[in-house]
Amino acid sequence: MIDRRLLEKAQDEFPLTVQPWASIGNDLGITEKEVIRRLRVLFRRGVVRKIAPALDARRVGLRASTLIAMKVPENRIQDVAKIVSKYREVSHCYQREHEFNFWFTIAARNEHELGKMVEQIRRGANIPEDEMLDLPSTRIFKIDVRFQLTSVSYS
Amino acid sequence: MMDNVDLEILLALQDGILLVREPFSAIATHLGIEPEEVVERLKRLREQKVIRKFGLFVRKSKVGVVANAMVVWEVPNSRVEEVAEFISKFREVTHCYERRTTPKWKYNIYTVIHGAERKTVTEFVKMLSDAVHVNDYLILFSVREFVRRSTGRIRPEASIAEVSDALDSVT
Repeated sequence: MIDRRLLEKAQDEFPLTVQPWASIGNDLGITEKEVIRRLRVLFRRGVVRKIAPALDARRVGLRASTLIAMKVPENRIQDVAKIVSKYREVSHCYQREHEFNFWFTIAARNEHELGKMVEQIRRGANIPEDEMLDLPSTRIFKIDVRFQLTSVSYS
Repeated sequence: MMDNVDLEILLALQDGILLVREPFSAIATHLGIEPEEVVERLKRLREQKVIRKFGLFVRKSKVGVVANAMVVWEVPNSRVEEVAEFISKFREVTHCYERRTTPKWKYNIYTVIHGAERKTVTEFVKMLSDAVHVNDYLILFSVREFVRRSTGRIRPEASIAEVSDALDSVT
């Protein structure tokens, strides 16, 4: 129960102060040491990925980005994933249930760089032009990856 | 405006802060400033929306979120704003974007939706569809995850010019 409140607090209202764990502990009625100890355990068990600032891509110099969908034959998925994963500029890459079964997001400093990279990947993966969709965003309505922490499992 | 000190701080912290009593002291010492100043700068960067969120990120599979789908919707242009804003209100929806359509692909609104199981996601999507009266949608469940990292990662060799110019150009 304390773990759940701790996770929620650190996820939703992280206190930006010199001693954040003390401040969180204060709110939860536990010591700073106890906060650090519990978070270490949650890290070890893989529940916590990281505690960090999430940056706005456009505001840190990545002005061009897009979502790419491709039709990749089932037996080539692994190989194509290997090619795509090599690019640090790719942030998400998933296999999905659809005719277009391979999806990834990619960002670059400008359109020119972005276009060059996408073309390089498409050729490298040997995907015909008409089996790929290039779907740049025109408007962002929401990015907020916070979860309701009703069932924390330690498995 | 961002300066070199801001850039150094973000580079040092973007992959995660340490579980020590004063997690901002190491970078403060390195830069020859007080930890209080690091904190003030982080708060300002958050106000400027360079930092979208500062906090803890959970691994979703460990907190009972197992089913994930990208749900794409065909929304009439005149209703994009209304529909996207309504859908964005739900916590199950972590992303909502409008994207360019092509002759081969008519969907213009993209949402990422999470749930405990596929059935939860499917039912939730049906509820949304009924609520906004948009019946043309596809649920693309994810089968395998190959890459998942922060979208806004600063390259270690980035110059302050390219980062700062970008900030000024985003409104």
